[in-house]
Amino acid sequence: MSLTKWNIVGQAKFVGLQNFIDLFRDTNFTRSLVNTLYFMFLTVPALVIGGLLIAMLVDQSLKGRVVTRTLVFMPYVIMSTVVGVIWLWILDARFGILNYYLSFLGIRPIAWLSSVNWAMPAVAIATIWWTIGFNMILFLAGLQDIPNELKEAARIDGASSWQVFWSITFPLLSPTMIVVVMLTLINTFQVFAQVYVMTGGGPAMATLTVVQYMYVQSFQYYRLGYGSAIAYVVFIFLIAFILLERKLLKRSGDLN
Amino acid sequence: MNEKKKKRVVRALLYLFMIICIIVSFAPILWMSVSAFKPEGEILSYPPQWIPLHPTWSNFAYVLKNFNFARWTFNSVFAALMATIIVILIDSLAAFAFSKMKFRGSKTLYAIILSMLMVPIQVTIVPLYLMFADVNLLNTITALILPTTGNVTGVFILTNFFRSVPENLLDAAIVDGAGSFRIWWSIMLPLARPSISAVAIITFMSNWTNFLWPLISVSSDASRTLPVGIAQFFGGQSGVSGSAPQYGPAMAAALMATLPAIAIFLFLQRYFVKGVMMTGIKG
Repeated sequence: MSLTKWNIVGQAKFVGLQNFIDLFRDTNFTRSLVNTLYFMFLTVPALVIGGLLIAMLVDQSLKGRVVTRTLVFMPYVIMSTVVGVIWLWILDARFGILNYYLSFLGIRPIAWLSSVNWAMPAVAIATIWWTIGFNMILFLAGLQDIPNELKEAARIDGASSWQVFWSITFPLLSPTMIVVVMLTLINTFQVFAQVYVMTGGGPAMATLTVVQYMYVQSFQYYRLGYGSAIAYVVFIFLIAFILLERKLLKRSGDLN
Repeated sequence: MNEKKKKRVVRALLYLFMIICIIVSFAPILWMSVSAFKPEGEILSYPPQWIPLHPTWSNFAYVLKNFNFARWTFNSVFAALMATIIVILIDSLAAFAFSKMKFRGSKTLYAIILSMLMVPIQVTIVPLYLMFADVNLLNTITALILPTTGNVTGVFILTNFFRSVPENLLDAAIVDGAGSFRIWWSIMLPLARPSISAVAIITFMSNWTNFLWPLISVSSDASRTLPVGIAQFFGGQSGVSGSAPQYGPAMAAALMATLPAIAIFLFLQRYFVKGVMMTGIKG
């Protein structure tokens, strides 16, 4: 289908690779790709490192760890579009609570969703809040698989907590790490609902993402052939992530 | 002494981190709930009030009166439930066949099914749309259910589980005269209950929160689902009159859409956690 020109009514017309050629000349498409990568840059490190830190926190024998685990995971069960609506309200430029509390830190009100510079970070904040619990659970499972005796033994040998982390926990956690990183990459690359609700791709296309562009081209302009070509690009990216993951997992499996 | 002091500082810092996590996670949910009960004049009060001065149900009434909210909820629940039931039946049957029966091409078929794990729905959405348009199923609840029933993850998880069921258990059942169908129903399904619960939760949640496909496949209000209805009427980009969203009703709608999910989550937390871990393993 990606090789046809087709706008729902009438017949599909074979156009060879024309859609793909157009795609790479289409500055809006390039824009959406760059935006998506920027979104990933904002969310992936925070989701992975943050998820790991919280998992390590609730892995300690502290009071309240079960409550913390439950509450951190809770946003994940909320629908993506509801997440968008909640954060629209929190981030409201004039009446939102975030700007209110930031004002205590001496930060002037930020027009989160209508500013070209802040719209993407705003979507990123909502996304991190929404999905970090998912990564926490995966890391927690990984942490609990590491036998306690290993850590104990190292401690008896006089290793500091820091050394225990870097030379025991971290290496043994690497398969989990790879899985979490890849799942996060795959999910963030497909960001759509939050953007649809919070910004609609605006302002001035500052938050237009790839999947959203595919949606707009296919189902608002009904350029189905062109939309399929975009879908192919998405597919190629995702397959690349997955193959990379397989390769890394295999290598880390060989090492252990 | 110094060592002890250091330990205490570390502990204090850990608790501080914990408190921050709790506040950041829960404050937005609490703020949504509080806002839902605020009357029109109060919602935009500044500075923000965490306790509504004159709590009211009017936002809820407004949502239920002006939007087909009950219908969207019914569609969402019905579609997700049906999809879950179908997935469990199909996936457990398939998994039973793949794990315990030998038939021609079973390995190839299993490999093909597993490779479908890599194909996300976004990629297939345009052809899927055309297929449903061809058979006149757009705008129906069937359109909301069918595509999610091709759930490969479940086949994978259940096949792995069924493989661990000892053969002599099945042999004993065969000696007692049980057929394949009987074995599947009275031995395999009960044994796999924990795995099935996890698969059920994954399926239910992914259908329940699904957005792109329902947005495309359904345009009539009667078959709209909750995520789409909320996005279209309370999201920033459209709004009923094209104006800024009305936060009070929006939060009431958000709360009504969220509470059931949170309640289910709190009751079945164990299975949620298990489900998440299983999605991690599949990768």
